[in-house]
Amino acid sequence: MSGLRVAVPKGAIFEDALSALERAGLPADVLRENGRRLVYRAGDTEFIVSRPSDVPVFVEYGAADVGIVGKDVLEEQRPNVVELKDLGTGRCRMILAAPESRAGDVRRAIRHAEVVRVATKFPDTARRYFERMGRQAEVIELHGSIELAPLVGLAECIVDLTATGTTLRENRLVVLDEISTSTARLISNRGAYRLRHREVAALADAMPKGGTIVD
Amino acid sequence: MLPPESTRLLDVQARIRERFRLFGFREVLTPALEYSEVIEEHGLRDASYKLFDPHNQMLLLRPEMTTPIARLISQRLAGSPPPHKLSYVLPAYRRASVGRGQSAELYQAGVEVVGSSSPREDASTIALLVDVLQSLDLSAPSDFAVVLGQSAFYAGYLRHTAPDAATAVTTALAAKDLVAVDAIAGDLPADAAAGVREIPRLVGPATDASLVEEAGRFAMGEEAEAALGNLREILRYLGAHGALGAVILDLGLIGRHDYYTGAVYEAYAAGLGFTIANGGRYDNLLRRFGKEMPATGFAIYLERLLSVLPEEGPPPLLVLVGGDVGGIDAAAALRTIGVPVLHLSEDLPPEEAAEYARSVEAAWISYPATGGVKLATADPPGEFVFMDAESVARKVLS
Repeated sequence: MSGLRVAVPKGAIFEDALSALERAGLPADVLRENGRRLVYRAGDTEFIVSRPSDVPVFVEYGAADVGIVGKDVLEEQRPNVVELKDLGTGRCRMILAAPESRAGDVRRAIRHAEVVRVATKFPDTARRYFERMGRQAEVIELHGSIELAPLVGLAECIVDLTATGTTLRENRLVVLDEISTSTARLISNRGAYRLRHREVAALADAMPKGGTIVD
Repeated sequence: MLPPESTRLLDVQARIRERFRLFGFREVLTPALEYSEVIEEHGLRDASYKLFDPHNQMLLLRPEMTTPIARLISQRLAGSPPPHKLSYVLPAYRRASVGRGQSAELYQAGVEVVGSSSPREDASTIALLVDVLQSLDLSAPSDFAVVLGQSAFYAGYLRHTAPDAATAVTTALAAKDLVAVDAIAGDLPADAAAGVREIPRLVGPATDASLVEEAGRFAMGEEAEAALGNLREILRYLGAHGALGAVILDLGLIGRHDYYTGAVYEAYAAGLGFTIANGGRYDNLLRRFGKEMPATGFAIYLERLLSVLPEEGPPPLLVLVGGDVGGIDAAAALRTIGVPVLHLSEDLPPEEAAEYARSVEAAWISYPATGGVKLATADPPGEFVFMDAESVARKVLS
């Protein structure tokens, strides 16, 4: 029905993304076939599968017309794309957390405007959060398990995503502050949104809408 | 930049200059360095390279051309009658964001019409943009389209129906975040919310009159009414220019935050995610230089434009090898009748001459002979055939 190229993120929101696309009438089922392929064709729709953080890049450059990606990634990268719809799925929170035993110290350090060391996969989000409070932070960017950093003294606290809080609890980390809430979004390339508006708008309308976020 | 890249860019610049001149635009040059106060917009200042002059005054490498031209007009053309129709074909400089694959030097070509608020000028600049793109063998709407909005329409609607939410909504829309626009609309009374939500979703071909009809439902308040009237006029004139088929309306297009005051547009090419040109009406910019002058114009991003243009073969060129004085005579005879000749003074053997010709993308090699030249193709190397100058011209220039 669409003739669009759709970027779908691997990982946590993959399944939700597929069912949202299927409910909009796209043959996204082909993506469940096997986990190795990167490009799938079904009818006149093309799907590409990529790391969540790469989805906005494909869409911004027009290598994909539309894509599904978490708001957390959009806030971090601030890509020049059209954000069309909140799908409501993949809900998680961006939080500031510290080890239970040192939570008080970190709170005090931030209050006294000391420079704290924070480990994160979201360096821009972390920097902006501290700037908004008028505080300075030494931001350390990691790509793997962020929870490890405060346990071995690499950082005093972390800025990370959490859905259920299980990993935090298992590593005896407590939430000091909630920075934002994130859900999956449908995004579109700026050109595709205008040049192929009928197809893109039809897809956006047909996709299930999530509830409004209550902060 | 080397040929063929450089020659392609220069050819496109030449074509654009020709079209600009045909529409009566006169080309200006401005210095690459401007005093930092000239550029006021935060985003542009942040993106600019900064330097200091001997008196420690901060200078910028111009990040765009519109403001330098506005400065030029307010300082140097104050005495002459408006409108000032000026064009430029120059590079601008921006600190590229890492990983975004942008070059720090961007070649631009554009026009500015300063001193007229007529919708006819908005329409004629848009029509010129369409003309330029078509003259480069792009056709609308299959290869490109100009997306047109009217930023005062939405702003006027907001100021009239939801003044308290206006800033938040336009900020969200400038960031192209329709989810945030909807979220704000959710907190507004139903009649205000309808337009906040619906106006940005009015997108479609300009030939479809129903879009403007629908927009009419939200033309509340003097400002929005006037803006929609202005858009109708622009569309009418675009029709007269024969450019309407290249235009897509998007009433949610407002462009850079707080910059455009009326018509605003972006040109997109099929298969490229970025704008190849953008422009619009900026009636407040000249005020900064002490002149109240309405203005409208556009800039084309030449590197992006080049990336979507159809491939073209190399221009005709003949390599003439050696021949001492006779070679000079033969070259002159060919150039007189319009054959581009690269004359090599060394007497190279044919294989080396052919290799050289391929390296400069010349299709032909030749050796001087009495009454003409011996001519052969360079790639693949062909048999030499004797010909007089006229026959060579027919071969090489065909």
